[in-house]
Amino acid sequence: MHDKLQSETVAAMTDFDANRGKTSVLRRTPESAALLAFLLAEIVFFSLSSPYFLTWGNWVNVITALSITGVLAAGGTMLLIAGQFDLSVGSGVAFVALVMALTVNSIGIVPASGLALLVGIGIGMINGFLVTKIGVNALITTLGTLAIFRGLTQSIGGGKNIPISNFDWAIWRPFLNIPLSALVFVVMAIIVGIVLKRTVFGRSIYAIGANENAARLVGIKTKRVVFQSFLLSGAFIGLGGLMSASQLGSTSGTTGLGLELAVVTAVILGGTSLKGGTGTMFGTVIGLLIVGVLNNGLTLMNINSAWQQAATGFLLIVAVSFDQLRQRLVGRR
Amino acid sequence: MRKDFLAVRGIRKSFGTVEVLHGVDLDLAAGTITALLGENGAGKSTFVRILAGDHRPDDGSISVDGKMVSFHNVGNARDAGIRLIAQEIADAPTLTVAENIVLGAWPTRNGLLDRHAMHRMAREALDLLGADLPLTANVSNLRLGERQIIEIARATIGASKCIIFDEATAALSDAEARKLFILIRRLAVRGAAILYITHRLDEVFALADRVCVLRDGRVSLDRPTLEVSQEQVIEAMVGRAVAHARHSPGQPSSTAKPVLEAESLGSDAFSNISFALRPGEILGMYGKVGSGVQELSASLVGARTFDKGRLLIDGKPTHFRHPAEAIAASIGHLPADRAAEGLLRTMTLAENLSAPSWPRLARYGMLSGEKLRSAYGRWHRELRVKADPSGGQTITELSGGNQQKVLLGRWLEAGSRILVLTEPTRGVDVGARQEIYRVLTELAAKGHAIIIASSDYEDINAVASRALVLVRGQTIAEIPHARISTETLTEAAGGGIHA
Repeated sequence: MHDKLQSETVAAMTDFDANRGKTSVLRRTPESAALLAFLLAEIVFFSLSSPYFLTWGNWVNVITALSITGVLAAGGTMLLIAGQFDLSVGSGVAFVALVMALTVNSIGIVPASGLALLVGIGIGMINGFLVTKIGVNALITTLGTLAIFRGLTQSIGGGKNIPISNFDWAIWRPFLNIPLSALVFVVMAIIVGIVLKRTVFGRSIYAIGANENAARLVGIKTKRVVFQSFLLSGAFIGLGGLMSASQLGSTSGTTGLGLELAVVTAVILGGTSLKGGTGTMFGTVIGLLIVGVLNNGLTLMNINSAWQQAATGFLLIVAVSFDQLRQRLVGRR
Repeated sequence: MRKDFLAVRGIRKSFGTVEVLHGVDLDLAAGTITALLGENGAGKSTFVRILAGDHRPDDGSISVDGKMVSFHNVGNARDAGIRLIAQEIADAPTLTVAENIVLGAWPTRNGLLDRHAMHRMAREALDLLGADLPLTANVSNLRLGERQIIEIARATIGASKCIIFDEATAALSDAEARKLFILIRRLAVRGAAILYITHRLDEVFALADRVCVLRDGRVSLDRPTLEVSQEQVIEAMVGRAVAHARHSPGQPSSTAKPVLEAESLGSDAFSNISFALRPGEILGMYGKVGSGVQELSASLVGARTFDKGRLLIDGKPTHFRHPAEAIAASIGHLPADRAAEGLLRTMTLAENLSAPSWPRLARYGMLSGEKLRSAYGRWHRELRVKADPSGGQTITELSGGNQQKVLLGRWLEAGSRILVLTEPTRGVDVGARQEIYRVLTELAAKGHAIIIASSDYEDINAVASRALVLVRGQTIAEIPHARISTETLTEAAGGGIHA
């Protein structure tokens, strides 16, 4: 009797919820839809202003130009979803490239590459240790390591441009005229996309970003997962450093300057919340493309690169303001 | 002769295509305390936000002192003398008591803050409430109850004639709640019209002159408190008679081996706690905030440490250093603060329910959405979660009771034999509360060993096989099933609200 009454209320409530579901279309529209629309608008605009824009060669250029930022953004996406930051990626890339440049002549290409990669992972380990074991906030930790590794790069390298010879793998074009560095980016983006969506590790990253306390209480080793994410970010720093050394054939004190901001811009533009818990690798790729296409299009239109920087900053603010407005519309109940 | 300060007529409000309030009438008389009740989703908070100027009604009228008003923002409502004291304390913890009391109404002289006037205003406001707090102390050093007094003092600054309390006692200890009631009565005696929003029936009968119930956006009851019974109020809230009969948990067979034993457990929050928990048993632990009940239950599940005594699981001494170890020992846990410690806020129902089971559901570290959905499907019906059966909704879209059912499902999916449930019905409405009790009794009958650690005697009263009562970190009573009642529990804990 009691149960029957209850199941009736259940039925009534279920109807109520179903009705409510219909009103929240806006809530269910994925953020990436708006971003895709914006990217498309960019593409239409630039293809109208330059006949060269839509050629295969130009698209390969767009992807190649963002490949280093993209590899770093793969790590950045994981970290930001977990509510963490890594601002040391730009100076880390410079330091890794310097290690490569200084050791390649004495120990050979393969050992030097391996060493450089390990140095990148080492940077991630330092960041991860400070954040998870000592408990320093990630922003401050990586702001510190940003300055440290930039300073080390400049003092050890002496501010000179150091050439790295016979290390041009990143510009090989194994097929379809696509450089290897662009392929590396695509592969890394796919791997990180799958890791985030389809593995226990990936779900744990979302859970930590959604609510670190709750994640710990459901048995997730939160500190270990965050540490591993910093390690991965470090591995991407190593990879990015090798790509940079190979693409440029040299390295200097200014290598990778500002990369950390380009990474954060792309990740946030791609819909990852600063508060953590939401975001996708797909969104980050769209974010990278929006910035990459903008820069490429403006270059084709012969607009000064200083303006490109201003345009990117403007775009970031517009996109995030738009998202805030959307959330306010949805949140108003 | 009633003098109505606030007269509300025919308030309607829709969000999108859904009408939440279908014409609400309410009169608030000066000098009276009106309690507003209703289940989650009944429209209480929308209605209150309209009164406070935070939402605008689609239709209907509000008149203050006989004059029609129209609030465009919170400032308008404040100017009309209406103040809302929200559920969450919204103070500035780094500022002093005096600064917090005059917050937003800083007295100035020549454009500079007049500290002298500020302290005088703050002192007057506190005197009015009969409260004595150090004006220059930092608010962050005060207890929760003291911070609430500051919130109330702030609401009395200026010409406030109507004060709305939204679930004011949710975070307070019993003693603090009693003090709050005295303050509220004092405000009413001074001529303020009080609207007191609550979930708790005992508070209504202890405090209010008039009781008003909202159900599905309509007023379903509005009468003087003396003329109604508790049963009538409940029926007005849920729209049917709720069986408040005690569920009868199957008594554990005394021959069964205890699955969890505490031997003289002690920490900074409790000391010398001993008990044994057997399969099929629901052990109640009753104690108010500060009694150590929450800390004790957190220590049993590895969320907190203890430094004295022993904890035995299946007869083996254990000391969990991480909740993962407790989960591996087949212990599931509902934390006291659902929002802060339980919900994975941005994630779906399926993800929330399956979280502790991810390692088990995965193959080679790979986890498919299909696995998570079917895990959710296993418990959706059994727990009667009112949500989309696919489990694809974000958990924050659900009401408190349904969120709690999903979090309970977590541990059923994980196969936990021991459940430690802290404040299982906090923020859960009357109907869902009964359903949670039903599920717990069924689980006990199936052989789960359950601990309910709660500051709400109704939880203990409804399902516990026996109860420990904690006061200041000590077990002061153990009450057998036959003797558990509201009276025995509150008496053991040092008197209830009615005292």
